[in-house]
Amino acid sequence: MSYVTIDQVTKGYDNQVVLNNISLTLKKGEFATLLGQSGCGKSTLLRSIAGLEDVDVGSILIDGIDITNLSPRQREVGMVFQSYALFPNMNVYDNIAYGLKMKKVKDINARVKKMIEMVDLIGKEASYPHQLSGGQQQRVALARALVMEPKVLLLDEPLSALDAKIRKNLQKELKRIQKELDITTIFVTHDQEEAMTMSDRIFVMNKGIVVQSGSPSEIYTTPVNTFVAKFIGNYNVCSIEVFHKLVRNSELKGKEVAIRPEVLQLVSTDEDTSDLQDNWRIEGFIKDVSMTGNVLRYEVETVESAFHVDYLHHRGKMFEQGAHVQIIVPKNECIIL
Amino acid sequence: MKSSMTFHKVIIGLLVIYLIIPLIGTLLFSIAGKWDHTILPENYTMKWYMELFQDERFYDAFKRTLFLIMMTVGLSVVIMLPTIFIISVYFSKWERLLQATAMLPYGIPPIVGAVGLIKLYSDGPIQIAGTPWILVGAYFITILPFMYQGIRNSLRTLNAVQLVDAAELLGATKFQAFRTVVFPNIISGILVSTLLSVALLFSEFAMANLLVGGRFETLQIYMADKLNSSGHLTSAIVITYYSMILLLTGTVLKLTFKKDKGPIMSNKKRILSIFKKQYRQKNTALEGEN
Repeated sequence: MSYVTIDQVTKGYDNQVVLNNISLTLKKGEFATLLGQSGCGKSTLLRSIAGLEDVDVGSILIDGIDITNLSPRQREVGMVFQSYALFPNMNVYDNIAYGLKMKKVKDINARVKKMIEMVDLIGKEASYPHQLSGGQQQRVALARALVMEPKVLLLDEPLSALDAKIRKNLQKELKRIQKELDITTIFVTHDQEEAMTMSDRIFVMNKGIVVQSGSPSEIYTTPVNTFVAKFIGNYNVCSIEVFHKLVRNSELKGKEVAIRPEVLQLVSTDEDTSDLQDNWRIEGFIKDVSMTGNVLRYEVETVESAFHVDYLHHRGKMFEQGAHVQIIVPKNECIIL
Repeated sequence: MKSSMTFHKVIIGLLVIYLIIPLIGTLLFSIAGKWDHTILPENYTMKWYMELFQDERFYDAFKRTLFLIMMTVGLSVVIMLPTIFIISVYFSKWERLLQATAMLPYGIPPIVGAVGLIKLYSDGPIQIAGTPWILVGAYFITILPFMYQGIRNSLRTLNAVQLVDAAELLGATKFQAFRTVVFPNIISGILVSTLLSVALLFSEFAMANLLVGGRFETLQIYMADKLNSSGHLTSAIVITYYSMILLLTGTVLKLTFKKDKGPIMSNKKRILSIFKKQYRQKNTALEGEN
């Protein structure tokens, strides 16, 4: 039984379609991520769910109730904005209590205190937003949304303005709180890694449509098209003709071949690889080596195309720039697009 | 580093001297007895002030000016604040139109405007030419640029659109969002616009003289009249209303900053910080988590 249903939602601005007939469903308690590049429509979809944007066509249902034409205050959704949108004239306590006061709830003090405890902001109740760090401000924004016990929590790139370390901490905390409260959450981000880390389900969006949905593992290992392959996993994508030439074999059929950089292996050209069964070999040379902390990324130039090969950065053998190598391509790791 | 600071101080010092000398001159002239061929007055007297404060006309003119200013500025705040808020937040496409309208007073010379207004309001359904009400209308337009820019800039700095969105999602109506979130945060902007407008209208002469003249004698018209009889007395008037404006501004600022020791206090700090280089180090946001 779906808890959130987006049914054929279309929205445009000035003759430009931003959301193109989008349909998706979420289960209760699910952590879903709308992932895509800037301008793909993910934030517009989120704002449409919040009621901050009207949809041209289609309907939005939460818990079986059609909320398409309800005002934001009637929708029972909570939202955390990218820029936090904390009220500068109110301290932490008043910011969190704001929604409860508006709804004239009785046990405001107890609920606010519980929430302050949950987001680990005890002692900061009297501080004003400008006296808090970015991470603390984000927690206030989260508490302010959660204290209302919304049916759905909407997060619009809430961590993008934070530095890497705080972002990682908050990712964990956000996930913990979401699980603890079992709250259905829709998270918007353009960061693939963040989406993979946090989500139960990812909806990859491009040009106003959902191009693929599935668990992080499904999305990563079985991309449905070139866009997803390149956007999600830095896949090596080359046309089938080029691939046939490189491996001197034409048994694969399709348009393009996608291969993850971490499944490829590099061996020296003089090394005997005849024992490596079920692999193809492509010859090339190391054009560039870059390091992203724990990963070494080789850019290998072949006669037709360049390939990225990722290795864990350990003390093993490293290839120098300019070295001639063979790329070992496992046949079962080649994804036909 | 030290020499560049000295350079800045010298420049600011020169600017202060440039701005303050005419005021000191006026003050001295207002209390000067005989002042013909010496750098400073030969003797001092308070008789110009005594004469001024014993003149009923001065009090009447002052009251009229105050009435006009309060009416105009009050009306402007009541009308322009919701207008600018609604257009900025909900009808941003119309913002250019409002901006162009707000800039109109700069494009129309006071004489042209006054003649047009007299002609327009001499007959027809609204015959207010020669009454203070035509002056209220004209002043409303005169202060429009100040009110518009001040309020709009405050709304932009605040990111009012997103704050209203957030408040609405938390269950507030549009009016509640404005009253509880937007308004308290733009008070300083409104205050600055209001004070600028008050200062401008206190010294406005052209419109007052052309539209109502002696029929509704304002402070400026009274002063122009006194200029013919005594320069000393005129100086006393100028010093009196400068003191009044200073007192008014100081009181309003003090009351506003005293009322809320939260973020508005920090605004005050921010304003002062322009002159304090170390501000950033002192007020850096708390870093790290807890």
